[in-house]
Amino acid sequence: MRLSETTDSLAGAPPLETLNYLTDGTTVMSWVNTRDHKRVGVMFLAAVLVAFFLGGLFALTLRMKLLQPGPFLMDALSYNRLFTLHGVVMIFLFLIPAIPGAFGNFMVPLMIGARDVAFPRLNLASFYLYLLGAAIAIWGMVHGGADTGWTFYTPYSSTTPTQVLPILLGVFVLGFSSILTGLNFIVTVHTLRAPGLNWMRMPLFVWGIYGTSIIQVLATPVLGITVLIVAVERFAGFGMFDPARGGDPVLYQHMFWFYSHPAVYIMVLPAMGVISETVCTFSRKNPFGYRAIALSSLGIAFVGFFTWGHHLFVAGQSTFDAGAFGLLSMLVGIFTAIKVFNWVGTMYRGAIKFTTPFAYICGFLYFIVFGGMTGIALATTSLDIHWHDTYFVVAHFHFIMVGASVMAFLAALHYWFPKMFGKTYSEGWGLVAAALIILGFNATFVPQFLLGNYGMPRRYYQYPDHFQALNVASTAGSTLLGFGFLIILIYLVIALRWGARCTQNPWGSKGFEWLSASPPPTHNFDEIPTITQMPHDYRTHEPPGVIRVS
Amino acid sequence: MAESATPSSKPDADHQPHPSHSAVPYLVVWLALLGLTALTYITGSMHLGAWALPVALTIATAKSALVAVIFMHLNESSGATRLVFATALVFVALLIFFTVADVATRFKLATPAGAPFGTERSQPEGLLENQVPDE
Amino acid sequence: MSHEADALGLPRGILAHHFSSLERQNEAMRLGMWLFLATEILLFAGLFTGYAVYRFQFPLAFQEASRHLNITLGTLNTVVLITSSFSVALSIFYARTDRPRAAALCLVVTLLFALAFLGVKAVEYAEHFHEHALPGKYYAYEAVKVPGAAMFYTLYFLMTGLHGVHVVAGMSVLSWLLWRTLQGRYSSRYYTGLEMGGLYWHLVDLVWIFLYPLLYLI
Repeated sequence: MRLSETTDSLAGAPPLETLNYLTDGTTVMSWVNTRDHKRVGVMFLAAVLVAFFLGGLFALTLRMKLLQPGPFLMDALSYNRLFTLHGVVMIFLFLIPAIPGAFGNFMVPLMIGARDVAFPRLNLASFYLYLLGAAIAIWGMVHGGADTGWTFYTPYSSTTPTQVLPILLGVFVLGFSSILTGLNFIVTVHTLRAPGLNWMRMPLFVWGIYGTSIIQVLATPVLGITVLIVAVERFAGFGMFDPARGGDPVLYQHMFWFYSHPAVYIMVLPAMGVISETVCTFSRKNPFGYRAIALSSLGIAFVGFFTWGHHLFVAGQSTFDAGAFGLLSMLVGIFTAIKVFNWVGTMYRGAIKFTTPFAYICGFLYFIVFGGMTGIALATTSLDIHWHDTYFVVAHFHFIMVGASVMAFLAALHYWFPKMFGKTYSEGWGLVAAALIILGFNATFVPQFLLGNYGMPRRYYQYPDHFQALNVASTAGSTLLGFGFLIILIYLVIALRWGARCTQNPWGSKGFEWLSASPPPTHNFDEIPTITQMPHDYRTHEPPGVIRVS
Repeated sequence: MAESATPSSKPDADHQPHPSHSAVPYLVVWLALLGLTALTYITGSMHLGAWALPVALTIATAKSALVAVIFMHLNESSGATRLVFATALVFVALLIFFTVADVATRFKLATPAGAPFGTERSQPEGLLENQVPDE
Repeated sequence: MSHEADALGLPRGILAHHFSSLERQNEAMRLGMWLFLATEILLFAGLFTGYAVYRFQFPLAFQEASRHLNITLGTLNTVVLITSSFSVALSIFYARTDRPRAAALCLVVTLLFALAFLGVKAVEYAEHFHEHALPGKYYAYEAVKVPGAAMFYTLYFLMTGLHGVHVVAGMSVLSWLLWRTLQGRYSSRYYTGLEMGGLYWHLVDLVWIFLYPLLYLI
């Protein structure tokens, strides 16, 4: 079924001749020097997709090596460098900027009825800082790479002869980019909401992005100073984290995870926002428990800061801290469960349209529940001692970060593709790819849960022979996953080039972002809409906003 | 606190100069800051022992409150702005609290026989109390 | 759009197209600046955490090492920085009350005080280099040989160094603002740019207010 057949538009399709943001200026300079949040969003989308492709390639290569228990395909140092690159690229270049940078930039102003983000120039700067950070990090990778893992634990990271310094600096610059994105969104939400759009009418995606931005602003600077200290440590030997000079490596881990644990919520909160939007559209039902979903976003953003110590259970952290962090970590489960409950409540008795985005919603729910529950298990101190640094942890956080975040990223990509580019893609191939990805994902990571529980440590180049069967299964699954992504790449490129023109609101959604044309004109709205009802109110037949004629 | 310009949570709509705006509060705050600097200098040289740090931090907090509220116009700012400042401070406290709590509550290791160092604080350089001794 | 800016007689381009009013835009600028200051506070928080941890672990070494800092110069610098903060506040006040010349003068005074601060700091650093009171592996200070003293100097240099970088950044911002003030950009109708620069400078002062007792007055 093609999208264009599912016409249920709230407003008539705009005349095709109208200039939209894509056709309004087609020179390279008009993109390079743009202030338009939508173009910045599209540029971010392109950049994070390249990063995702790279990171995925690294992952597949790693999995290929792990087919064999002994040396195979590459030497141990290359293996160490490769998993470091995989982590750095996937986390700092893909997961953190993916949804806020691409879809947040594009959708937030549209959703709140604004013509742009509060600081358009800063927004563009944030994109260029991303490119700069990526360039520095990639320069480091080409010139030797680092073998510390993406966590850069000291004292190893301050003594290893590999190129840690450029990658640290790259991460520092990327952090700056992330801060600017977050800062911009907070100010935008505070000062640029359309008339009638009070806080309790704000789309749930905007709530998700708002929570994310708080974390980005508050946590990222601590990562910045931490990597700076490690950098100073490397070239000047200040000894801040060096036990030989009275330093405490556990302090490094505290400071690192003060950012990096909340960073998980930087990756997951926007994903949750995407799900909150799409689940309403495809169930044709009002959000169940709007207030609970909205406020639990803030709850996760806040509580997410109280949990970092669960990464340090076996690092020599005190029993007091371990106990406190173990307990506090479980609070995140409460807020996540509230959301999951409300999403399922939204689907209940809805008129569900099983489209490609909906397939990813289902995948998301499954992954967040199992990933989340294994997280609760890992936050239990006594269990963590068994599982710490094994493949169990790897499988757990891939369930959350790839499972949940990437599912939501793909849901957003498919849901908003017509909005962003005004084109339709092949729904049939979309479902095939979704099935392959969800299946392949399970095949990749369920064996890793088992491997971890049997005691296979993460980041090891070699492993005992009796782990081989499960490793082969995992690699086979990752190949399936890779094929799934390849199919998406192909049909989206085809859709972009040759896809049929879609209507203004192909999903019949009552989200506020569909009030504008698809693709939107550069200035978004001819007249700023006045919001008169909640987002996704499917009880009435009126459009969600009224364009005031005055 | 110094007699401040009338606190108002709303930014003045027409951007006319603040009605009761005068430079006097700034002068008073400056003098108060100088006074507090003198005070912290004096208490600092008195060797108050365990009280030295709380006293010094209290004075520093008072000084920074004056700067934030009067010099940085938090008294005229919107609620959101104040919330941003307060939130930042809460998270600073959070980071420091749990990290120091960790160091403060780690169990003290017994000194292994024949070890060249003690397990008191401030022991020879390079050896920490949380370092696991060789078995 | 820009009719409001025209009505107020403001230079073109001050009110961006996506803000409904100048008041809204100023509020956005202010909030954005405070968010940026929050990130600066958390940037320094990392170093303050390190300080707290190591001071807890090496209380005696920190006391010993701190006593060998030059308290007179430290106090002098505190007074210098506080006064520069005062003059920035005054400069905004004068801009707000349409006295651009006085505002510019205050900025010049601030810049001079900032230079004085850096000068004093340079004298102190020179002293440390001379005595080999240096961080980490370079530490060879004869006067304090307590274990942990090197860590004090590590933190001392990291904290004052990062602060110094902020002083230099603040000076560049203030110089630019001085240029704009001399061009007559700021008045009672519009002074947000100057206000933002002032906020940044006050933050530099705020950090020093804590560094001073923590480093010099243990």
